[in-house]
Parts: sequence; C-alpha cells; structure tokens
Amino acid sequence: MYILRGAEKTESLLGQGEALVPPTFLRSIEDSGFSTWLRESESPFAFYFVLLFHTFGLALLVGANAVMDLRILGVAREIPLAPLKRLFRIMWIGFGINAFTGVLLILAYPTKALTNPVFYTKLTLIALAIWIITLLRDRVFGDASLDEIAMMARGATLAKWSLFLWVGAISAGRLLAYTYKYLTYPC
Amino acid sequence: MNLAHLHLLLNHFPIIGTILALGLFITSFIGKNDDLKRSALIIFAAIALITLPVFFSGIGAQRAVRKDPGVSTAVIDRHEGAAILAMFLMLITGALALIELWRRRRIVTEKPWSGNLLAILVFSLLTTGVMARVGTTGGDIRHPEIWDVRDVTQETGISAFVHMFEPTPSKFTDLMLVSKYWWAFMMDLHFLGLALLIGTVGILNLRVLGFEKRLTGASLHRLMPWALAGFGINVLTGTLAFIGMPSYYAFDVAFWLKILAVMLLGLNAAVFYLTDAFHSVEQLGSGEDASRFAKLIAGSALFLWFAVLTLGRYIQSYADTIPLR
Repeated sequence: MYILRGAEKTESLLGQGEALVPPTFLRSIEDSGFSTWLRESESPFAFYFVLLFHTFGLALLVGANAVMDLRILGVAREIPLAPLKRLFRIMWIGFGINAFTGVLLILAYPTKALTNPVFYTKLTLIALAIWIITLLRDRVFGDASLDEIAMMARGATLAKWSLFLWVGAISAGRLLAYTYKYLTYPC
Repeated sequence: MNLAHLHLLLNHFPIIGTILALGLFITSFIGKNDDLKRSALIIFAAIALITLPVFFSGIGAQRAVRKDPGVSTAVIDRHEGAAILAMFLMLITGALALIELWRRRRIVTEKPWSGNLLAILVFSLLTTGVMARVGTTGGDIRHPEIWDVRDVTQETGISAFVHMFEPTPSKFTDLMLVSKYWWAFMMDLHFLGLALLIGTVGILNLRVLGFEKRLTGASLHRLMPWALAGFGINVLTGTLAFIGMPSYYAFDVAFWLKILAVMLLGLNAAVFYLTDAFHSVEQLGSGEDASRFAKLIAGSALFLWFAVLTLGRYIQSYADTIPLR
C-alpha cells in the first residue's frame, strides 16, 4: 500500500460544520441508475471505458492540433502546409468524442467535478483552445490566396497560444484527479 | 512462468548486450566501418528498451526469493540500487544512440569523431561497468558461497565508490511519493508526451495508409525527433512512477501487456527501418500509394500505440491481478 502525501481524502473537513453543503441536484444525478452504474460497475465497459475514450479523444484532438501548430511555427518545413487542413477533421472527431465522454464523466462523478474550481479552469482553457482552432481554420487555412510564408506569419501567434492552452487544459484535467474536495455527495 | 522466471530469463540481455555493442562500437572506430557503428547504435537502443522489463520484473523475483529466510533484504536492496543506476545509464546510452542514428541519416560527415559519439562511448562504458556490478550483486543474493567477504553489503574499494552513486530503493520510492503535486506533475508530463507522440506518429502512419496523399512520406518523417521526444518523456516519467509504486504496477496484468506492446513497437520500428519499407516511405511522393508491406507496418504501429493507450488506462482497474505466491 502506497501513501501519496497530501492525497488523503479531505472529506473529514465536513465534520467541522463550516463547509458549505453542495447543491442537492448533484446528489440527484449521483443517485440515478446510470450514474451509479458508471461509477460502481465492475464491468471494464463502465467508467474506465469512458475514461479510455476521453484519452483517445485527447490524443486525436491535441495530437493533430499540436502537429499543425508545430508546422506553422517552422518545425519540419518540408511538410506542405495547405494539405494539413485535413487535420481539422481529426480534431473535430476528437472533440466530439471528448464532449460526449466528458458529459458521461460528469454524470458519473457530478459532485467531484462541479465542486472543484480546477474543473471550470479546464473548461475555460478548452473553450479558448477550440476558439483558436476555428481561428486557424478561418484565418490561416480558409484563405486560399495565402502562400506558405503568409500562412506561417498569420498563424504563428495562434499556434503558440494553441500549444499553451492545450498544455494548460491537459494539466488542469490531470489535476482533477488529485484536487477534488468531495469524491461523491457528502451524506 | 512468473515474474521471477521472466527476470532470470531477461537479465542477461542488458549485461551481455552492452558488452557486445560496446565491442562493435569500439571496433567500428578502429576499422573505420560505419555499418558496424550503425549496428552498435541499434543494439544500444534495443538493449535500452529490453532493460525496462528486466527492471520491472525484479520485484517479482524479490518477492519469490524473500521467502527464503537465508536471504537478507540488505543484499537484495544492494542489487536493486545498482540496477536503478544501471538502468538510467542504459536509458541515456540508448537515447544518445537514437539521436546519433537520426543524425547519421541526415548528415554525411567526414569527421570520425563528434561530441555525441564521445558521449555514447563514455555512457556505454559506464553502463557496461555498472551492469557488471548489477550482475554480480544479483548473483550474490542466492549464492553466499561465492562471497569473497563475510558481509558483501560492506562495500570496499571501487565498489564503495560506485555505491555512492546508487540510490537506496526505499528512499527513491518515498521521494516519488513526497507530494501529490509531484505525482500529478509526472502524470501530466506523461499525458503531454502521449499527445505529442500520437500526433506525430499518427499522421505519418495515417499518410502511409492513404490519408491525405498530397503529403509526402519524407516530409512527415521529419517529425520523428518530436515523436522520440514524446516517447523519451514517457519512458522517463513512466519509470519514475514505477519506482514510486513498484508493486502496484508489477502485479498488474494491464501493465505487463502494455510493456509487451511497447516491446512489439520496438520490433515494429526495427522492421520498418531495416527493410525496404523505409525507402518506400521516404520516396512516397505526392499522390502516390505506399507499398502493401509499408501499410502493414504502419497499420500495426497505429494499432499497437492505441493498445498502449488502452492498457495504460486500465492499469488502475487491474491492480493486483497477478497473484503473489
């Protein structure tokens, strides 16, 4: 048995009488059959399956976006830039998978997610990163009159922001596993 | 077959492999033979990869041998400390060898020496030396009859000097668990490495399979250093996590299948680079279709990377699936 320092459950805080009670709709979601099944089922196709597809989605969305960003910033210049437009399709597939699995993950642990400020930070960073993708699509890849030099010049700042926001979003997502206040609704 | 068997089977490869590769490497300078040098570099990289399961299976052998009251924990810890040092030296040697292999492909150099080659020589010499110590300290565990002193854990001479650089296994474990934020940081890097790796390797493999044929094979292959950087980050953070919670990972069936998939990816890369599949991809021009063989390699690489992701995700739910006996 390994004890990771600082990772002990913080639910003991509740006994102190000062903690705010989370909104009760979180408990209603948790009590539903689907949420309970996702959370408690021993089946490998329950919670971990959803988490797995959330990771697949991450790999497709961030992986494809990162390759595009790096190329715009001058990495592997031999790669022709315009055909990379096809990567948007992979990014949208990844984003679709993650929006769907993300909702399922919230349904499984609503109190855990929605009472953690890091969760809202993560959503904000993702929203901004997705907005950058639409800007890359419209301003850099949407203008057929641009040559490679012009595309790179116009996309450089967007690409840097994109990489920065994805590092932030993934980091915030990882932190969710270690910073929550309640795992489930406190009784 | 259990983890102890696996450890006893595989542990000879890093010891003998480094001696063999070092011999070829030195001979390549004397004989001015670049093919020999390339072979030595490939063996260094391959042995570095095999060193991972040798290290990871050690805890299974430890559990088995600990049942014998005649075996002291201190003698096992001495072997494990030596093994940790040797593994990190081996990983550095392997990483430097891969960097050299990449550079050799691009630049034809007249100079027989470079800083990187010198670094490989130094690190492979250190690795070979420390690997010999890992072997002897491992042998000492079960063979007190060959001890040349009454207590082998009292190091003297050159052993005492090397021992100063060897971590104490339990202290290293505690260090990795010192804070949940350190752990979160390692896991974060592991996921960032994952995204970088899948993104770069993924686009090359997809192109070989026929995605977006305007992209040429040679141009996408320029992304390979970034894929190797992602892989390097993940080997490092993964190994550190293992040192943090060895018995959590070592007795997990998903973990071992993941390591198996990584080994198969090493084989996949070897087949790709050492057959004409590589030339077929390098010469893959705009609009052209890759050879069927290259497609087979690209498809299996993609499959294996997603298997690595899947098995990694299931480590948490398959803890303690390998019984302790």
